[in-house]
Amino acid sequence: MNSMNNIERVKEIVEKVAKVRKFEQIDKFQIAFEIEKNDVHQTLSALKLAGWKQLSYLSAIDWIETSKFELVYVLFNWDEALYIQIRAMIEREAAEMNSIISIFPGAKYYEREAHEFFGINFPGNPDYHKQLILENWDDIPPLRKDFDPSVYSDRKFPKREYSVDYSVKDPENKSFEKIKEREKRALSLRTGGQKK
Amino acid sequence: MKSTKFTPVPLTKAETDKKWWEIGDFFRRNSLWLLMYCTGCCAIELPPAMTSAYDMERLGMGPMATPRQADILLVSGYLSLKTLRRLIYTYEQMSEPRYVVALGSCPINGGIYHDSHAVINQLDQYIPVDVYVAGCMPNTEAVMNGFVDLMDQIKHKRANGWKKYHENYSWYKANQITSLGEVDVHDEFHE
Repeated sequence: MNSMNNIERVKEIVEKVAKVRKFEQIDKFQIAFEIEKNDVHQTLSALKLAGWKQLSYLSAIDWIETSKFELVYVLFNWDEALYIQIRAMIEREAAEMNSIISIFPGAKYYEREAHEFFGINFPGNPDYHKQLILENWDDIPPLRKDFDPSVYSDRKFPKREYSVDYSVKDPENKSFEKIKEREKRALSLRTGGQKK
Repeated sequence: MKSTKFTPVPLTKAETDKKWWEIGDFFRRNSLWLLMYCTGCCAIELPPAMTSAYDMERLGMGPMATPRQADILLVSGYLSLKTLRRLIYTYEQMSEPRYVVALGSCPINGGIYHDSHAVINQLDQYIPVDVYVAGCMPNTEAVMNGFVDLMDQIKHKRANGWKKYHENYSWYKANQITSLGEVDVHDEFHE
């Protein structure tokens, strides 16, 4: 079966259970569906039955201008070369998405990661609020767009201070004159290989 | 005729200790065991340094698996907060005298990670560092030269990082607390 037939088949499966807001074919082996938040669980279980039984990744994108988070579920099939991305928009304020660990138990850690880096809550996952990667984090989640890493770094980590001892092109600098004199002398000595 | 019999000159305790330290340092610097904390990309310089290309063994150096038997703590590359916590654990487990060699520009001033929320900027604020090898990443020649420099420092009694750690313990601890919040490791996989 070639991948074009595959794509048609997946389209049918997804359209049967969810309202597709947008379809995108990224390349020959990757397709993406943008669907409603409430249809995600049905779509994922339908695709799991159809053979896309591994959740490769769950990630989030912070669209700060429109005040939304976009969740991306990447599904992988061991028999057919086609990745499927399921995308869903959720509100940025008090972001919440029902957990999918009943469909893909491995999503447990992806959800914890998304909670840690974006502050999205996943009710249904018993320990989504536990720390996973960051330890003793004391600021807003670091991958939100309104988090400024360099300010945090300046506040938290001592910086090395360097003495300013490099030369500046300063007209009042005496050494600058010396350099010019030396250049002038070098030019005066240059005779093009002929004796003076 | 003058007697050739050896008459020992009485030495004070401090002088005897100094002599024994010199003897100890001689053997120590010719047989250094590395504990490699390969967290960053500079660790890629170690395979050529260890194997036949540059052959660390000819300097009497070798890898060691445990902190308690190692002399050198080799920090190769950037340190995130998480790894720094483990690094301090490891450093405090090592038996004395202990030396720290830091590779790359990241432990010096943060390198390309200078504005990251997860990576520290200056290693010598948290533990004393004897030798820095600058570069992103340093040549293997530079790494080997760093080891030779460390041997030279041990010879001339300048590799005193571990003594500084004792003298300024409260200062180091305060810095660790400022950046890490808590040095103790708590994670669900070990409790």
